Amino acid sequence: MAAPRLCAAMAAAFALAGCASITPDRGLEAASQLAHERTGVDARLLRGEDELRALDAHIDALLREPLGMDAAVRIALLRHPGLQATYWELGIAQSDLVQASRLPNPSLGFSRLHNAHYTEIERSLSFDLAGLLTLPLRQRMEARRYEQAKLTAAAAMERHALETRRAWVEAVAARQAVAYARQVAEAHEAAAELTGRMAQAGNASQLDLARERAAYAEAGADVLRAQRAADGARETLTRQLGLWGKQAGYTLPERLPDLPAAPAEPEQIERLALERRFDVRAAREQAAATAADLGLTRSTRFVNVLELGVANKSETGEPRAKGYEVGLELPLFDWGGARVAKAEAVYMQALNRVAETAITARSEAREHYLGYRASYDIAQRYRDEIIPQRKKIADETLLRYNGMLASTFELLADAREQVGAVNGYLDALKDFWLAHAALEGALGGRVGHAPAHTNKEHQQ
Amino acid sequence: MSNRRSFLTGAGVSMLGATLVSRAGAAGLPEAPVQSSSATAPPLAPPNGRPYNPVVTLNGWSLPWRMKDGVKEFHLVAEPVVRELAPGMKANLWGYNGQSPGPTIEVVEGDRVRIFVTNKLPEHTSIHWHGQILPSGMDGVTGLNQPGIAPGKTFVYEFVARHAGTFMYHPHADEMNQMAMGMMGFWVTHPKDPRKHAVDRDYVLLLSSYDIEPGSYTPRTNTMLDFNLWTFNSRVFPGIDPMVARLNEKVRIRVGNLTMTNHPIHIHGHRFEVAGTDGGWVPPSARWPEVTTDVAVGQMRAIEFVADNPGDWAFHCHKSHHTMNAMGHEVPNLIGVDHRGVAQKINKLVPGYMVMGDKGGSMGDMEMELPANTLPMMTGRGPFGNLEMGGMFTVFKVRADQKRGDYRDPGWYRNPPGTVASEWTGELPAPHSAPDAAPGKAPKGEAMNARKPGSHRH
Ligand SMILES: [Cu+2]
Repeated sequence: MAAPRLCAAMAAAFALAGCASITPDRGLEAASQLAHERTGVDARLLRGEDELRALDAHIDALLREPLGMDAAVRIALLRHPGLQATYWELGIAQSDLVQASRLPNPSLGFSRLHNAHYTEIERSLSFDLAGLLTLPLRQRMEARRYEQAKLTAAAAMERHALETRRAWVEAVAARQAVAYARQVAEAHEAAAELTGRMAQAGNASQLDLARERAAYAEAGADVLRAQRAADGARETLTRQLGLWGKQAGYTLPERLPDLPAAPAEPEQIERLALERRFDVRAAREQAAATAADLGLTRSTRFVNVLELGVANKSETGEPRAKGYEVGLELPLFDWGGARVAKAEAVYMQALNRVAETAITARSEAREHYLGYRASYDIAQRYRDEIIPQRKKIADETLLRYNGMLASTFELLADAREQVGAVNGYLDALKDFWLAHAALEGALGGRVGHAPAHTNKEHQQ
Repeated sequence: MSNRRSFLTGAGVSMLGATLVSRAGAAGLPEAPVQSSSATAPPLAPPNGRPYNPVVTLNGWSLPWRMKDGVKEFHLVAEPVVRELAPGMKANLWGYNGQSPGPTIEVVEGDRVRIFVTNKLPEHTSIHWHGQILPSGMDGVTGLNQPGIAPGKTFVYEFVARHAGTFMYHPHADEMNQMAMGMMGFWVTHPKDPRKHAVDRDYVLLLSSYDIEPGSYTPRTNTMLDFNLWTFNSRVFPGIDPMVARLNEKVRIRVGNLTMTNHPIHIHGHRFEVAGTDGGWVPPSARWPEVTTDVAVGQMRAIEFVADNPGDWAFHCHKSHHTMNAMGHEVPNLIGVDHRGVAQKINKLVPGYMVMGDKGGSMGDMEMELPANTLPMMTGRGPFGNLEMGGMFTVFKVRADQKRGDYRDPGWYRNPPGTVASEWTGELPAPHSAPDAAPGKAPKGEAMNARKPGSHRH
């Protein structure tokens, strides 16, 4: 009899439908939680004027101060319309899931056929049986799509946060570069003016004067060039923040954050990357889903994808790299017959995708960590050696000026070289913060530092 | 140290005793006394041998000897030394027996002299006895007259000091480096009869020049002409002792030049005669009066005069850069340049910047911090303020009450009333300025146009 089976299916469907519903946050909270550890921000869905106004008030308060790096990320994640669109994507997936969880409505049929001889009236009450029977499957698929949408949204937040940090670093550094270009120009201005006075008094030639004035004019062009670059960098940041109008008039800090006292030394960076990166997580879930979809439940053992990699390595005779406790295990099935050959192929494909993603993640973690350390060392060299030595040179040059052993022009030339060294430090500092952001991206999480000791010399 | 022999009693002079070169040679070698002070040592009265009137080496000393079988034996040790050029500045030089210049060697005409020379330098050396008439093999030119004295080796020179006069000694091996590092010394051969050419005070000094980068200690020996330190006996003013005389004493000053340029040596308040050259004594009939005599490179001059004018008198090289200490030769002239506005701009970029030179080079009493081991360009306190001098400059002090044989600084001269230049307090005529000399303005002038001969066609 069909009736009891139908009833059982319907009962199951109702039971399932009970656990899926539209949430007020449209599922964003889960995604936001995923992204929180990487961004430090809880994203919110903006619905209606009131929420927008409240957010704008919050942002206005943030913008009253010069915009710091973390505040920039906060604003970008809360306000950026592109991200909001992604957040609503999550809402769509959630709705689809909820929709999929609901029983198809029964349909009431009524037909009336008639001709000259007879009239036939047919009444029917029908259920979408197929729909009802496939409901669990559809629900599972939508649930998976929803999970994926969550990961996608979280990944978008993470990417956006990373891009915002980058844009912020570029914008602040470009601003500082303008300040330093101005100082160089001022040194040239003073030299040109002094030479002008000397020419007036008969102590310098027109050739000397023209040389000094040309150098000053070129320094002026450099200021304009730096200004143009700074304007561009600022607009990139503004777009990243999603601000316009009055809010786009935010101010930036004078300087990049100081170099941390010590570089971060996260342990087992490859493991961190494998555990936390969204792409690895997504690939793994994809493989698991493939397995589930293929209905393969009988796994015989687990294959450690990363052990595979190590095994390959040892074959080439390379020394075994420092061991990482990597727990990325996937089930391997006992493939019995030809009829499951395709399923095996599909599954093995997914398995290798995970391996590929994992290898990439590990390599990127190493690459970005090495890049991060190298840029720390460079900036540190500037901070601890080049800048202090430059300062020493300036002091010694001034002593020589005191003894009438060096001229004002040597002092000014040295001042320019000092500015150049500070600019070199700024470049190194910029590279460091960019590398820091890239490392966070590669590890899928924040990389903290011990608080920096502030170096007054660099605040000039 | 038990072998110490005290022969110097003057203040500030210390004998560090004999430095024995090696045990094997100790028996045969005379000791090599070492001088640690750069103060002027009192004259060394001859303890034995023929009598003579000793000289005084300004900021230096004379080398004791020993008599052995009628031969005067000296021992010079060529070695790296640290010479104080003036209080506040020391130089890594090469010298003899602890100092640069080396000790003055004083002998008497006709003396047989034996000089042991021990080389403690890192390279070979030799000594040339500048102006001596001696056997060719004793002339000290490496390669020509003898092999170089290798490091650690001792050579012996022996000859008769045939002529009385004023001489020097210096290496003739890697001279460019060794002389630029301060290897040199004075040599005086006194006349057999001490009454001949007798004077009351006989000063000797060698002119040498160094290029020591401000903040460093060792001369740049490759410098050819652009030296920054001009010295009397490797001292610069205000590190040079004054020369003193009792009123109406007869004074001789012997000057030898081992720099790479000539020095017009000039004295104030007195007229002198050039009484001696490298070649010997000038016959009195051939001398002529001077207040400045040019001492060319490699030359010696002995000037004589009666110190008949009491007071404090400048004695210096007349090349004004030679009476300066280290100075920037590339510093532009800022005299008359208006700094208003610019100075603040520069000060913003260079904290601690002060305008200098717009009114001339005179620093007045400004005391500015200088690089390490660097002396001010011009300095020296006098009774009326800053002397603004350096380099080859000292003061010749004539006093009625200076005791005979007393070389101590009597202090500043007390001018009798009415004999010091002073400010005019009477009526002043209307000021008068040269035309076209408004400060801060270049004189008006036409640009010169050079016309090329012929025309070029391309
Ligand atoms: Cu001179």
